[in-house]
Amino acid sequence: MGTSLIALFLGVFFGFALNKAGLTKYHKIVNVFRFTDMAVLKFMMTALVVSMSGLYILRGFGLITFPNVPATYIVGNLVGGLIFGVGMALTGY
Amino acid sequence: MKFILNYIRKETWSPYVAGVLLGLVGILAVWLSNNLLGASGGFENLAGMIGQAVAPAAFDNVYFNFIMPPGITYGVILLIGMFFGGMIGAATSKTLKWGKKDAANSDPLWKRTFGPQVWKRWVLAFVGAIILEYAAGIAGGCTSGLAISGGMLLAPAAFLFIAGMFASGIVTALIIYRRRY
Repeated sequence: MGTSLIALFLGVFFGFALNKAGLTKYHKIVNVFRFTDMAVLKFMMTALVVSMSGLYILRGFGLITFPNVPATYIVGNLVGGLIFGVGMALTGY
Repeated sequence: MKFILNYIRKETWSPYVAGVLLGLVGILAVWLSNNLLGASGGFENLAGMIGQAVAPAAFDNVYFNFIMPPGITYGVILLIGMFFGGMIGAATSKTLKWGKKDAANSDPLWKRTFGPQVWKRWVLAFVGAIILEYAAGIAGGCTSGLAISGGMLLAPAAFLFIAGMFASGIVTALIIYRRRY
């Protein structure tokens, strides 16, 4: 039950951040592929930098352990990414 | 204080501010629940649940038994939260279009590119979503579950995925927009 509440709470902020960054809009998503609006890339990279530094600092202090790191299988990740991009440019997910 | 409230009411934040918020959420997910954020996994859990109820034989395979076990998982609850979070975000900027006339197909760029018909929007969204979910299944995550959550743990898989995603996304956008690219 506790974990569910945390998931719900985090989900609300996740959705809120996506909405405020404009990532719920088709034109934002597709324009990053047309190089006319880089908001998606700015948003993703900021999130990455903040969370990766935060996580590694916290792990350095021994406060957290990392969950399972997503497995690397080069063909799967690449092919999945290639198909994913088609859907992303079509729907604006 | 007033400044913060006014900022919350803004429709589009600076992507850097929203990015910091998402980064903090990502840290909290690992810290509080030792889980990663993700959007596509929840749908697969739900699909597995429906599938096992409707056609148990077809869903009795390695993928749904071990990789994506069906059920109300962390990812599903996260999805519910995201739904309401997105709505709250839209409500604070007064752009919530629940029940309004153009709610089903409101994006101006979409209308200019594909036409104003609502059914077109829904059909293409449905087809695109199948492509997305299938690809996320192959790669092991989507933009949030693999690219951001994996990237923050410095997983090589995430960066391979981002490279593939942008390569084919740019090509698809080139095909759709051709001269207007």
